[in-house]
Amino acid sequence: MTGIEILLLTAFGGVLFTCFTGRISSSLRNIAAVILSIVLVVLVALLYDKNGETVFYRGFFGIPMVLRINTLSWFFAIAISTLGCLSVIFSLGYMRDRKNTSFYYSMLLLVNSAMLGVVFSGDMFSFFIFWEIMSWSTFLLISYNRGPAVGAGLKYIIMSIIGSMAMLAGIISLYTVYGTLNIADLSHLVLSSSTPGHQIFLLIIFGFAFGIKNAVVPLHTWLPDVYTEAPSPFSAVIAGMLTRMGVYGFLLIIYVILGAARSLHTGTIPGFNHILAWLGAITIVIPTFIAMLQNDAKRLLAWSGIGQGGYMILGIAFGTNLGVAGGIFHTLNHAIYIVLLFMSVAAVQYRTGGVRDLNSLGGLIKKMPVAFFGALIGICGLIGVPLTNGFVSKWMIFKTLITGGAPFLAFAALIGSWGTILAAYKLLHNMFLGQLPERFSNTRQSPFSMKLPMIVLSFTILLFGILPGLPLKVINNIVVSFGFGSLDVSLWGIVSETGMLNTINLFAVILAGLAVVWLFFRIGARAVPVNQSDNYAAGAAVPGDRYNYTVKFYDPLTRTISPYLRDIIDSLYQKIAVFTGCVCNGIRKIYTGYIGNYIMYIVLFVSLIIIVQMVWSPW
Amino acid sequence: MVNPVLLIAVPLGLAFTVPLIGSASRKLTRFVPVIASLFNLILCIRLFPAVLEHPIVINLGGFAPPFGINLFVGHLGLLFAGLISLAGLIVSIYSLSYIKTGMVVKYHMLYMLLLTGATGVVLTGDIFNLFVFFEILCISSYALVAYVGDRAGIESSIKYLIQGTVGSSLLLIGIGFLYGLFGTLNMADIAQKISTVEQGSLLVPLLLIVAGLGVEAAVFPLNAWLPDAHSSAPSSISAILSGIAIEVGLYAIARIVFTVFGISDVYLFLAFLGILTLLIGELCAFAQSNIKRMLAYSSIGQIGLILFALALASNNSVTGGLFQLINHTLSKGLLFLSAGYMIYRSGSMEISSLNGMGKRMPLTSLAFTVGAFSLIGLPPFAGFPGKFLIVSGALLQGQLVINILVGLVLLSTVIEGTYFFKVVQGLYFRKADADITPERAPAAALVAMLILMLLIVVLGVYPEPVAGFLNTAASDLLDKVSYVGSVLR
Repeated sequence: MTGIEILLLTAFGGVLFTCFTGRISSSLRNIAAVILSIVLVVLVALLYDKNGETVFYRGFFGIPMVLRINTLSWFFAIAISTLGCLSVIFSLGYMRDRKNTSFYYSMLLLVNSAMLGVVFSGDMFSFFIFWEIMSWSTFLLISYNRGPAVGAGLKYIIMSIIGSMAMLAGIISLYTVYGTLNIADLSHLVLSSSTPGHQIFLLIIFGFAFGIKNAVVPLHTWLPDVYTEAPSPFSAVIAGMLTRMGVYGFLLIIYVILGAARSLHTGTIPGFNHILAWLGAITIVIPTFIAMLQNDAKRLLAWSGIGQGGYMILGIAFGTNLGVAGGIFHTLNHAIYIVLLFMSVAAVQYRTGGVRDLNSLGGLIKKMPVAFFGALIGICGLIGVPLTNGFVSKWMIFKTLITGGAPFLAFAALIGSWGTILAAYKLLHNMFLGQLPERFSNTRQSPFSMKLPMIVLSFTILLFGILPGLPLKVINNIVVSFGFGSLDVSLWGIVSETGMLNTINLFAVILAGLAVVWLFFRIGARAVPVNQSDNYAAGAAVPGDRYNYTVKFYDPLTRTISPYLRDIIDSLYQKIAVFTGCVCNGIRKIYTGYIGNYIMYIVLFVSLIIIVQMVWSPW
Repeated sequence: MVNPVLLIAVPLGLAFTVPLIGSASRKLTRFVPVIASLFNLILCIRLFPAVLEHPIVINLGGFAPPFGINLFVGHLGLLFAGLISLAGLIVSIYSLSYIKTGMVVKYHMLYMLLLTGATGVVLTGDIFNLFVFFEILCISSYALVAYVGDRAGIESSIKYLIQGTVGSSLLLIGIGFLYGLFGTLNMADIAQKISTVEQGSLLVPLLLIVAGLGVEAAVFPLNAWLPDAHSSAPSSISAILSGIAIEVGLYAIARIVFTVFGISDVYLFLAFLGILTLLIGELCAFAQSNIKRMLAYSSIGQIGLILFALALASNNSVTGGLFQLINHTLSKGLLFLSAGYMIYRSGSMEISSLNGMGKRMPLTSLAFTVGAFSLIGLPPFAGFPGKFLIVSGALLQGQLVINILVGLVLLSTVIEGTYFFKVVQGLYFRKADADITPERAPAAALVAMLILMLLIVVLGVYPEPVAGFLNTAASDLLDKVSYVGSVLR
């Protein structure tokens, strides 16, 4: 299986290559970056439907480091490489007037390569190494924008390191108990010979690490700042795939290593999954409503992203084959439309000179039609409008919650949709609808390099919505490999116990409805094209620049809910950080500066031990 | 086969030629340490194959042990000697351009005496000889700390001198006790006779010796001299002190505790002491605003970690401790060397004055970043194999107390990460306070930093050959019987 080795070598080598060509010429480097990303997508696509392992390095204390390809790895890898490629293409236009772009492109490619390394690792040791490389390169790239991005980056890396250290403890615990770190071997060994205590320990400690990465409440506090302050194409990559490395991790620990679906673990894993499902439910409900309160476009998307992550965790933790499939599918779908939405916001940012404050934007629908279309389709996907891919994955999750007998969890998932609709519509309206402010009247359309990824992603959303069988067949293979029963999927639908989802029928019905509308349109009076600012105001003049409804968009609801939706957990963590600083400041005063004290310490040390020995004789 | 005595004799001899050369030309004296440490390094590499088979024991003056002084060049000794000469070489290359003003001749002479003392400590097999070389090491460092000549330097040097002298006195009294108990000064002989005496009476000599050596090795209550000394010394000396001097002190403690005494009851206490040192070092470093003071406290923390690893006394953890020791020499050296020129260009030691250095001194900032990431333990740098070995060696022992201590090690890694990441962010992503024109560090310094960076990356990606050698060095330390057998044949 040297295909994977070639892939990773190309990826990491490409990073160095981009760095060096950047010194020669920036356009050469841009072309190199784009070609490299496309080559990676092709290489991953070539690995479709292959299975196997290869040892790629034995240099680390005799622990064989293994690369592995199976359906799960391939699924995540194709998403990572494609979304990464689209982000690089998008960055061509977005980063045109910025400095230090060599650093930006190299780090972006390094993050992508590290993510590919994470999903292709066949043993926990290389998993950890690639995970760490991914973390510190993300940290460096988040701080790229300077200013408030520096604080956001620091928050991210501290929480990430805490998670990594927990993961390291878990990995070494696996090594000491089972003697191997190879994932395939572990999945056999752990199943046959683990104790419930050790299982719970592993679940909690790995759950902690992956929960931080995936931003499960209460470990989510790094996410809003990071998504807001990172450079926008990179925010897209973080939101799309980097955070979902946590989902990959959860799948790895619960279903691959601990084999939750392959045997009857009474008590431990179902108990953990139960708690995780509830955490997922809380993650859905609260952040989606906080999203609605935000006035910064990227922050709104960030909180929405946390909420959608809750759906994935809920699906995976619920433990039925439909649920896990729904969770994995939702990961892919969310990645596609959140990248699309971030790109749309970035396009608006780029053309308006950096404005992402929803209170001051408006009416850009005519000026930036492709960005509007992308945002519209993205929002439909986010909400889960039928015919988009978000609808199918949400259908699967709702179905499994209802038929699985968890009404409260289903209700939580439903409430999440309400919050999402409110937040998503606010985003769309405040950016594109309403009256065009005077100062944006000269806004141009986005450049082609930005339009292309948005069109591709919109098309994908609709494609996966109408023909969900395309990804669902792959996901079905993943679910079967975990040990669940197979799902009944076809190219255009999926069957469940209580009924079938047939998207082609839906598509036909909606097309028929649209045809009827169009027919009426043609038969009726001819439409007269009107200027965007030509509105009806009962005869009075329409004031320019003052007729745009953006500020206090959901005022009554905001006033009711916002006292309950402050991020208490973030303030808790800040207080802990300040407390640690005080403790450190106190401890450093041990070193008083007075030489007499220092000699006293030496003498006290010697005498104390002699006294201890004389009184208690422990030695 | 070359005589290992040359490892000590050549630097010592060349040290005394430095004033002679200096009276002729001041500029030429700076090449003498380079020549001496290069010679030592090549000699260590030449001795490597011979030592792999069998430790070399040299009887000085032809007197057989236990009456004469002997040198014991085993795996551990050769490792340390090689590390000392490597670090000495790199820092002397750095000093080619860094040390220009002041009493240059005396600086180079004392520098070589420091290296001689360090090499002597790690190679000797006689406990009083250890004391003598230890004193040479300490006294040279007392003087070198005051090299800059400003008020802070002289004050820290005198504080270091007083504490160091107290430590040396304790050490001497402890050695006196041992001599009174056993009538011999040879380490192997004492090791053989240790079990003939009742264990209770051994506590006082052990305690005095460990406390005496502990002052230099910077374990918790005894290390108050370190923050002042490392921050007021010139950066090349800070690198050598952090990278060599305190580690040689730790080697001496390890040799005495494991090989000479070998009383396993004290190991858990040493592990606790190590963790206490680690936590206090990292927590204090977090609160600093002066970059060299922050690095000095970080050194205290790392020494605590290495002491913890050594005190667990299993092959895996000692290998991890030795690996982390090498990593500390390389990374802390790199950090101090790069900070040296950044401080020189910006004129202030405050961390806030380092903002924006990524633009003005790109290679130096990259060196600092590599050193910082390696010290925290991030792959693909040298710190990761070290930390991994220590944590896995500790957890393999399976005791609950050790597991809790490992949790504290991981916690201190988070704290360490926090303050280093803040500085790295400041280098690249914060705006500089004043507008100074970009000026790179001179070529000699860049060469030194580049060598260290390469070594760190290579060690991080190919730790296997080094780890294999360290495994044999670990058994050299822990296996008392074979040590005694080799010497007292």
